[in-house]
Amino acid sequence: MRFRGGHNVLLKGRPDSAIKVMPEPKVLYMPLRSERFTFSDILVKDGQKVSGGDILAKDPDNYEVPLLAPRAGTVRLEAVENHIVIEDVAQLEERADIAEEEMLHIEKEMGAGGIKRYKLLSLGAWQFFYDAFTGQLPDPLGTPQAIVVSTLSLEPFLARGDVQLHRRLLNFTRGLEQLQSLLEYQPIYLGMPNIRSEFANLIRNQIRGYAWVKMLEKPLVYPYDDFALLARRLELRSSNGPVWAVRTEGVLAADRALTETKPCTVRILSIGGTGVSQPTHLKAIPGYPIRRIRDQYVFEPSARVLNGGIFTGKILPEETLGIDVECRGITVLPEPEEREFLGFIRPGWDRDSYSSSFLSAMRNDFRERLTTALRGEGRPCVACNYCEEVCPAGIMPYLIHKYLYANLIEEAEQARIDLCVECGLCSYVCPSKIDLRTQFVEAKDLIAKEKEEIRQEQLRQEEARKREEEARKQAEENVE
Amino acid sequence: MKWLLNVIEKVRPNFEEGGKLKAFHPVFGALEHFFFAPSTTTVGAPHVRDPLDLKRFMSMVIISVVPCVLAAFYFFGLRFLAMIIVSYAAGLTVEALFSIVRKEDINEGFFVTGILWPLILPPTLPLWMVGLGVAFGVLIGKELFGGTGRNVFNPALVGRCFLALAYPKQMAASFLEPSHDVAGRLLSWVDGSTADAVSSATPLVLAGRDEMVATSHMFLGSVSGSAGETSALLIILGGGFLLLTRVANWRTVLATLASFFALTAVLIACDRLVYESMPGVFGPALWHVFAGGLLFGAFYMATDPVTGPTTNTAKWMYGIIIGSATVLIRNFTGYTEGVTFAILLGNIMAPILDEIVVSIRIRRLRSEG
Repeated sequence: MRFRGGHNVLLKGRPDSAIKVMPEPKVLYMPLRSERFTFSDILVKDGQKVSGGDILAKDPDNYEVPLLAPRAGTVRLEAVENHIVIEDVAQLEERADIAEEEMLHIEKEMGAGGIKRYKLLSLGAWQFFYDAFTGQLPDPLGTPQAIVVSTLSLEPFLARGDVQLHRRLLNFTRGLEQLQSLLEYQPIYLGMPNIRSEFANLIRNQIRGYAWVKMLEKPLVYPYDDFALLARRLELRSSNGPVWAVRTEGVLAADRALTETKPCTVRILSIGGTGVSQPTHLKAIPGYPIRRIRDQYVFEPSARVLNGGIFTGKILPEETLGIDVECRGITVLPEPEEREFLGFIRPGWDRDSYSSSFLSAMRNDFRERLTTALRGEGRPCVACNYCEEVCPAGIMPYLIHKYLYANLIEEAEQARIDLCVECGLCSYVCPSKIDLRTQFVEAKDLIAKEKEEIRQEQLRQEEARKREEEARKQAEENVE
Repeated sequence: MKWLLNVIEKVRPNFEEGGKLKAFHPVFGALEHFFFAPSTTTVGAPHVRDPLDLKRFMSMVIISVVPCVLAAFYFFGLRFLAMIIVSYAAGLTVEALFSIVRKEDINEGFFVTGILWPLILPPTLPLWMVGLGVAFGVLIGKELFGGTGRNVFNPALVGRCFLALAYPKQMAASFLEPSHDVAGRLLSWVDGSTADAVSSATPLVLAGRDEMVATSHMFLGSVSGSAGETSALLIILGGGFLLLTRVANWRTVLATLASFFALTAVLIACDRLVYESMPGVFGPALWHVFAGGLLFGAFYMATDPVTGPTTNTAKWMYGIIIGSATVLIRNFTGYTEGVTFAILLGNIMAPILDEIVVSIRIRRLRSEG
């Protein structure tokens, strides 16, 4: 499979490659919910003193993934809804190690490989791992058929891999080695924008002799960094077992957890978008107050603040006070100010479009100041086929839209709605402004729910049959 | 333009729920959004959108026919302006009535139909027929199917087909020899009653009598024919623009023209078509490409995304069907011009072509991932 579709939006507000260190906060607001996790199993008490690296809560549905305290302080549980607040924050020494006794116990139970996995999980590195096909957290004790590593982050605007890698090349290659030590003979695929660049050569020199790392060139077009697309391009099949996928930060976290046995709580995230005065990268910890970031970087009075990028990010609600553990970037988009007069007949020299209907098609070195405007009225599909051309997954969004419109869920499934990677490009290019991505996400949820129900029903039936059989046997025995 | 926005805001309550003119909300909405971009914002991800909307999409088509419109003024006079006005007035009335009944917005699609319609008509056609035809086309060809985006047939061609079948004599007698003056007919009004109106046969009719008009004349446009279809040069210019903006798909155009040219050349080479006054194979084939409405149909009618197939593979087949059907109708039936019928035939086939391509693709998708 070749890469197909994809599109880069020329949008103002791209973060520069500097990393600004945010000043130490006084209070941390740790959200109990992030994209994949819900930390419902709270392990600390109100008023308890914690030190950096202590486990505050766990997600029982995701292999007990922990929520770590990034700093020392006093826990307040009831202060803010859905948050654990840490007051009197101080950067005291981190909890250096997992207690030796605990270690021996684990080694006895799970072996040497088990310790590594335990470290990854309990030191907060495991949350950087994804299952390439489902995007969910993989089983830390499972064995993947391959690990896919991507140094790219192509969605505007998320923290870029090259920035995160800055001056940490050694950590990165060491992290790759650590990942390898978790595997037996399975390959690691390393996706890079240019495998002949100086940078790639540096990595190649560092990992010389390690034949298990296979470099893979990926064009710098959104969304070719998507793990599901990568796995498909590598012709890995979900039936052959899980594929683990990590980004630069995940490799660095694996290095930190396994080589230094230290908790991974610092994140490098981006702050970008057209509503930001100085788009850049930030070094911050989970729980960092969003207000302080807003005060420093957002100048638009009415702006939409997103947790994530412009294509897949979620609106950051007012109630969320701190950065969550999965945040990769904050994007700020201004709301449209005024309504354009006769906008549709303007030449459009400064308007970036997927189509070539604007004069700007003749230049490609500019960046547009985009807002959250829908830029048109909702209309029925005119079958322009742009969505299919731009779709990186090779499915036919307009067709699935038609099926869903007519409530033909089964047909939509046959048209492989499950291959959709939810990149949002179809919604972006649609001239009829149809919200394709939202429809697909909802339909996929519905299908998943139905499948789960069918599975449950089958289990129930199976159980009932077993019970019946047992009862019959019992009856027969009784007769005898 | 603040004042206009103020006026709109002032009269808005009349058209809202509970206002006196509530029924006319679609008309008000269309006018408002014609002048000012809507203030709607995105709800969820993706949070930004491409600047291309349906208005821009459709105005690209209108811009691309400007050369043909100007040529129609030049060759056939000011009467063409009246035809445009009648076309828009009659068509918009039908469109607005349906919007009011359906309580939906007025769609941009009609602005394209309204300008394409007079371009495919004989230049001295009575104005009542211009209005009747477009009303029929929009009503039967589009609104009964559910409006823009849901129609099976190209509304302009449905109208043209209706007129050709209902009023064959008037249609055939309304052609006009274009002006050969340098100034053209820029300021004159010529219709059926004017003295210098010489109803003249189109090149295709003349070819039936083996009187071949020079290819160069047809290339420049100084021949008789429908108002917008005479100048091959200007159609290629405008159509090329449409292809460059990617509003029209090049596959359809190329497939139509190439299959037409190839089939005509083959027929001439096999002596099934004989043009005594024009020897050779490619000369007459090229002549046929420039004759009649083929170029106009291929660039502006066949490329309508709604009535054509959606998948790229089906677009090739669709073009081939239109191109070859045109050849067959033109040369072996009682009609001298076959593009209208050929494209309507293609419209009928488009869904099934899509179906074939889609089913193959779905079968291939089954083994993915």
